[in-house]
Amino acid sequence: MVEAPRKRSFGRTLVLIAAVLGPGFITASAGNDVGGIAQYSSAGAQFGYSLIWIMIPLAIALIVVQEMATRMGCITGKGLASLMRETFGVRISFLAMAALFFINTLLAATEFAGIASASEIFGVSKYIAVPGALVFVFLLVMRLESKTVERIFVGFSLVYLTYIASAVLAHPNWGDVARGLAPTIHLQTAGWLVAVVGLIGTTISPYMQFYLQSAVVEKDLRPEDLPLARVDVVNGSVLAIALAAFMIIANGATIFLANQHGANLNPQQASDFAEALRPLAGKFAEAIFAFGIFNAGIFTATVLPLSTAYVVCEAFGFEAAIDRKFSEAPVFFSLFAVGLILGAGIVLVPGIHLLKMILFAQDLQGILLPGELVLMLIIINRKTIMGTHTNSRLANIIAWTTVVVIGFLSTLYVAGQFYPRLFGG
Amino acid sequence: MAFTEGFISELVGRRATINDLPIGKVTDFLVKKPDATFPQIDGLVVKTAQGPRFAPIETVADVDRNGTIALTMAPKDPAPPEGEELYLVADLLDKQIVDVDGRKVVRINDIEVANAGGRLRVVAADVGVAGLLRRLGLRSFGKRFTPAIYKRVPRSMIAWDSVAPIREPNPSQVRLSVTESKLSRLHPSDLAEIIGDLSAREAVAVVQQLDDETAADAFEHLDAETQKSLIEDIGTERAADIIEEMDSDDAADLLAELPEDQQTELLAEMNAYTADELRTLVQYAEDSAGGLMTPDYTWIYPHRTTEATIRKIREIAPTSEFIYYLYVVDKDDMLLGTLSLRTLLLALPTAFIDRIMDTDFVSVHPDAPAVDVAATIAKYDLLAVPVVDDQGKMLGIVTVDDAIDAIMPPDVAKKLPHFMARHHHHAVGA
Repeated sequence: MVEAPRKRSFGRTLVLIAAVLGPGFITASAGNDVGGIAQYSSAGAQFGYSLIWIMIPLAIALIVVQEMATRMGCITGKGLASLMRETFGVRISFLAMAALFFINTLLAATEFAGIASASEIFGVSKYIAVPGALVFVFLLVMRLESKTVERIFVGFSLVYLTYIASAVLAHPNWGDVARGLAPTIHLQTAGWLVAVVGLIGTTISPYMQFYLQSAVVEKDLRPEDLPLARVDVVNGSVLAIALAAFMIIANGATIFLANQHGANLNPQQASDFAEALRPLAGKFAEAIFAFGIFNAGIFTATVLPLSTAYVVCEAFGFEAAIDRKFSEAPVFFSLFAVGLILGAGIVLVPGIHLLKMILFAQDLQGILLPGELVLMLIIINRKTIMGTHTNSRLANIIAWTTVVVIGFLSTLYVAGQFYPRLFGG
Repeated sequence: MAFTEGFISELVGRRATINDLPIGKVTDFLVKKPDATFPQIDGLVVKTAQGPRFAPIETVADVDRNGTIALTMAPKDPAPPEGEELYLVADLLDKQIVDVDGRKVVRINDIEVANAGGRLRVVAADVGVAGLLRRLGLRSFGKRFTPAIYKRVPRSMIAWDSVAPIREPNPSQVRLSVTESKLSRLHPSDLAEIIGDLSAREAVAVVQQLDDETAADAFEHLDAETQKSLIEDIGTERAADIIEEMDSDDAADLLAELPEDQQTELLAEMNAYTADELRTLVQYAEDSAGGLMTPDYTWIYPHRTTEATIRKIREIAPTSEFIYYLYVVDKDDMLLGTLSLRTLLLALPTAFIDRIMDTDFVSVHPDAPAVDVAATIAKYDLLAVPVVDDQGKMLGIVTVDDAIDAIMPPDVAKKLPHFMARHHHHAVGA
């Protein structure tokens, strides 16, 4: 008996149309978190337009990596954590999960740091704002469906479009911007490598692959849905990269240029980057910037510790569901609570330099990324797992090149941390 | 064999030797009859220089000497292809299973094997933290440095009898199940909860292991969203088989949720009688008497004796959902009266039904809202109320538990025990 192909009902067609604004798009929006805003702003403020070219190879790598995660979800119907556990066993998945939990907790801290910066723009102390946000996030998670939360914040994240307008209104010298598209390497310039690794880490965050693949599985996308899912991935990635590029341009055209003309704008905290919105928003620049990072902070703080707890439990087979009692899913709730509370707690450490902490977290993401990509590449090239949907030669070349380049840069970065004199620092 | 018991994780990776000469490493264990209570291990896979080779268990001399596995002769055959038999490492270790005893989905961290009567058998699956620590190589560390904590690490072993693998829907990996799935031992509501917790793909894999009856019982407890997505995934033919086995009121509710073309397709796959019945039921609003009712009531004719009627009921009772009330109808299905089982049993064997039946019965119209139906049932202390149309024709009954379900918030209703066992039902042919 030959099985008839699955028929698509009207409802399913609607779902598929919605998928064009689907998991890939949402994941890309979630990727523009506090760390992303800080990293892109900092890159523009420090180096003007000269780092814009990096966004082009990053766009390609981002699309390839996210397509891989999407394809693995469509073909296997399993999350990335499940596949890692089933392919590599306990030890490697334990290392991967420990690293993921660590970096994601640090990232949760960066989100709370963003919330702290936003609140300080309005004159509210972080010692009030952060605990308040913690309670708010906790209530959001407990009371609302995660889909609802997702929709609200993805809607609000349209505020980033202001960066495009602001970049245009700043009247940058477009010839200079275009020159920034030509690859230039400044390994000897202090802070250049740090900025590059940070850009990589924040653009292709390790957690995004887990998040994306889980969303694909939850949406029950199938091999036959791959073409549309790919459209979604490309849409989301291109939008994310475009916004990032305009953030760099807006900061380059304001903070960087002002410094070139003798000003001494030396951003010490995230809120100093509000300057980049001045050409558009004038005296409301701070308010709009604060709203942007507050939204990004709350959204990612809501999503990250929760999805981390789900992913870790998925790998180790612990019960995980937000609507259970604590006694039914103790590991899950503990991971969630520890990630969230520790994240908020780090921000409240007296004297901590929040902007440095945020940018360091992005570098750490860049350093951890090659490890994740190697695991993904091994899984996706296994015929027993992927059948006929293993990586194409081109995808393998791009992905392995990404691994090698990022691995190389990360190694240099780590070496630079131990021997600062290596790179002009 | 000196080997008494141990874990797969401690055996995998050991050297395989012949006359103390190493020939390769043990990578996997093969079980040919995984459905046995404690299945026997039928052989090992040894990774040799020539590739993976299969060593039948008869050629294994000892499993514990000097930390190696001693063979009596060199394994020659390549390992049997995956998919035909069960490999403990490739197919089960690190995979998700349903713990039938604990009624949840877990991951296998390790597998315990034991020497029983000279044969190596699979005994249990380790799904606890202890198994994770052992795999991480931290067991001896834990024992030595933190014995107090180590003692408290929960040891969660699942007897093999309760391990039900969630099989891959991928056809190349589907194994033919010889016996019925262990999953069918679960209570339908537990099974439904497990299905609801799984990803869509895994849920399909679980449903594919179930017979139609078990699947139907589980379906009755699933929420509409999960039902819909499963029906899309398992295909029209199988879905129709399952829906046919469901209680008709639940089946009608499910069909009512589906788009019309899908309804038509499913009904076309069913037998004509069930399809007709469901077509009628689907027309009624879900929260009306018509939507709540089941046509599976026990009906009897008026001109029979008590004795003949009891004989008939005895025949159909084992498969009938609801026999506590009997509905007396004429050949046009007009409801003439009702009768409780108690009245029937206490009446003289020779008494005629139309003499002992209650003609002053309470009934509801198919369009009556659920709240009114529940109120009627409560007011008259009934177990069920008949649904009768304008002409007095009997359409079905609404049972008390369906009425409660309809007016109760879903999460509360779930926690209440059901008064009536729900199984199959037939009308009394007279």
